[in-house]
Amino acid sequence: MNVGGAVAAAQGPVPSPAVEAVAPPHVERLNPVVEQQLHLESVKIRALALYKAVSHILEDLDAFARSNSTIKWRDALGQFSMVSMQLFNIVEDIKNVSKAFVIFPRNINAENATVLPVMLSSKLFPEMEAEDIAKREQLLYGISGHPVHIQIEKLKARIDMIGAACEAAETVISDCRKTYGLGSHPGSTVVPTLDKVQAAKIQEQENLLRAAVNLGEGLRIPFDQRQLPTSLPSHLADVLSFGDGAQNLADNSGSCEKNTPAFSSTREVLQMLQTPGGQLIARSVPSPSNATAFDNPSTPPMAYANSPRSDPNIMNTPSPQQQAQRQQQQRQKIMQLTHQQQLLLQQQLRQSSITGVLGQRSISQLHDITGQTQQKLQQIAGQHQMSYSHPMLQQQFQNGQLQTSHMSYNILQNQINQGGQHRNNINQLGSSSNALFSAAQASPNSQMIASMSASMQSQSRLPRMQFGLTGGHLQRNHPSQVFNDQMFGMSPSNPVNMLAMQQQQQGGFRNMSTNAHDLQPGMVNLPNTIQNPNFPQQQQNQQ
Amino acid sequence: MECVVQGIIETQHVEALQILLQGLCGVPKDRVRVHEFCLKSGPNLGVVPSEVRLLCDLAQPTPTWTVRHAGGAMRGAGAEQLSVLVRSVVESKVSNNALRFFYAVGYKLDHELLKIGFAFRFQRVVPITVTVTSANRMPRLHAIDDAVPLTPGIQLVEITAPAAGDNYNEVAAAVSSFCEYLVPLLHLSKPGVSTGIVPTAAAAASSLLSNSGGKAI
Repeated sequence: MNVGGAVAAAQGPVPSPAVEAVAPPHVERLNPVVEQQLHLESVKIRALALYKAVSHILEDLDAFARSNSTIKWRDALGQFSMVSMQLFNIVEDIKNVSKAFVIFPRNINAENATVLPVMLSSKLFPEMEAEDIAKREQLLYGISGHPVHIQIEKLKARIDMIGAACEAAETVISDCRKTYGLGSHPGSTVVPTLDKVQAAKIQEQENLLRAAVNLGEGLRIPFDQRQLPTSLPSHLADVLSFGDGAQNLADNSGSCEKNTPAFSSTREVLQMLQTPGGQLIARSVPSPSNATAFDNPSTPPMAYANSPRSDPNIMNTPSPQQQAQRQQQQRQKIMQLTHQQQLLLQQQLRQSSITGVLGQRSISQLHDITGQTQQKLQQIAGQHQMSYSHPMLQQQFQNGQLQTSHMSYNILQNQINQGGQHRNNINQLGSSSNALFSAAQASPNSQMIASMSASMQSQSRLPRMQFGLTGGHLQRNHPSQVFNDQMFGMSPSNPVNMLAMQQQQQGGFRNMSTNAHDLQPGMVNLPNTIQNPNFPQQQQNQQ
Repeated sequence: MECVVQGIIETQHVEALQILLQGLCGVPKDRVRVHEFCLKSGPNLGVVPSEVRLLCDLAQPTPTWTVRHAGGAMRGAGAEQLSVLVRSVVESKVSNNALRFFYAVGYKLDHELLKIGFAFRFQRVVPITVTVTSANRMPRLHAIDDAVPLTPGIQLVEITAPAAGDNYNEVAAAVSSFCEYLVPLLHLSKPGVSTGIVPTAAAAASSLLSNSGGKAI
């Protein structure tokens, strides 16, 4: 390899083949740490690249010589500077290699038999030796008789003079470069002038680009144009959902990611649900993005399964503004339910009614639900629970890593039929809660409840504590609060259950149930509330 | 913390820059296709609005999300003498729920940007990342497929290197010395400082491109 040979000559006993010899196919491998530090692979790659570059240049020069055309010296010098730069880098790296290793030949064979004695000898060739002596004489001419330290001083003085001369020469060269415009040296300060117009254009473009990337200038879409497109890109499809109902529906049927459809539909449905008197809502952080409403405050709040409450004002009343918002949105969402969803809801209603009315007070259990609550919410919506005052406990599905399969959600839904029928829709999602569900449906009694509570307790202790983690969505906070309220508000008839529930509660939420009827609490979990607070809010503003 | 410099290069010379970087870095290039969301905090999160960027890497088979917060730049006489900008940065991988989470917390989308290009990540005293991207804007919200380049003729080059409070000087020196290699093609400066293009870049680019005929990396 030509380059290797050149490097060897320049570097003395450290040729680049040493690199390849050190980077084995040998029996011994290098210490991996050392190997990593030396970047041998990259050095090898660069050496090969340099070799190819140099050979390419040589070919070009050959071609020029044969064709007798004039060489473009600018390009040729540019290429040469590139090559020399790369060579310099490789040499630097090889120096690192050479410092770490000592190379010595192991075997003498035909290949190195003639070379080895020369390489290993410390005595120079006679010619080289004579040359060396001559140079030494020349250097020490006139001072060889003096003591050593004086010789050293004089040599140092000479070195300094030579250094000064070199610096002066460099300044002269750079000045000449500047004056004559020979700015091919990297870092030269000569700036050939661009066309003024062109320069101005480029400056303008540059300012635009820098401002956009660093500050966001020129990228902001005005509010009125900020509508979510009907088809989101794939990486956003399961992240965002639409703020308004119609688009939600359209999108839900399409994308069935694990969380998205549940969120959008659940949100709509939840808007149709009513928390008891809307009182729970007040306890959540009123967020501007709250697009879901819980209750129609005019309807009496639903009694929980085991704790009929006669006092509708257990909770703080939400602000009328929030209530109005929610009512509005609830109605909107209901209107926008698709026919398909309604059918589905009706089916589920029929199914749930078959299971019978569960013991009103005995079943205030929170069944853990994993997965999506879309069906349940549709069910709820289909029942037009706007007229009901069921406390819908909505437990928020937590985002991301917090929500794992072991998290379970409880969905209990009490429906107050104004005609007096009691229907309990207990919706369970997830295999973990199936047992509970069937048990609850079969014969709810206090023992069952206790066992179920215990199992649920073990399952869902953590999740229940994690309410409203997704932030300021009113929707999310409300369900958690409702849920907690229900938990605490267990009727005295189920002390065991109450205890279990209470243990699982986060804080002092109180049950709200004003319905005189014994109704079972309904809890709807929102596994995912995908709601972009920005856009609904803006839409609200537009309204 | 990180040290960062930015520069611009004309789109016609990007290929030459790529060849140069490949020769200098010795690593293959990584494709860059990042959908960047810039979120600004709402008033419920404090008087002073803060900015958070969510980067969705679309070059991977499954999009990966990163949240990034860049703090203010270091100030002072020492900082002014550095040719690189040193600023505090917090970066973390997040799940794809991050966007929803930030919306829920109260952040609003300020603007979004699509960056398409390539990057080189290599080690030279410190880990250095050189990113060459064209900034694209989306005419409608999240409409990635309709993204058009903001400045078709100019692309942005950004060189960053992580730093700590005690070694940022060395990192700055390493980044500066690396930038010296790129002088034939582009000028680099602190973000916010305008540099212009290199007039002789065309010659350097042509020599690089002709040089590449022999390289088959």
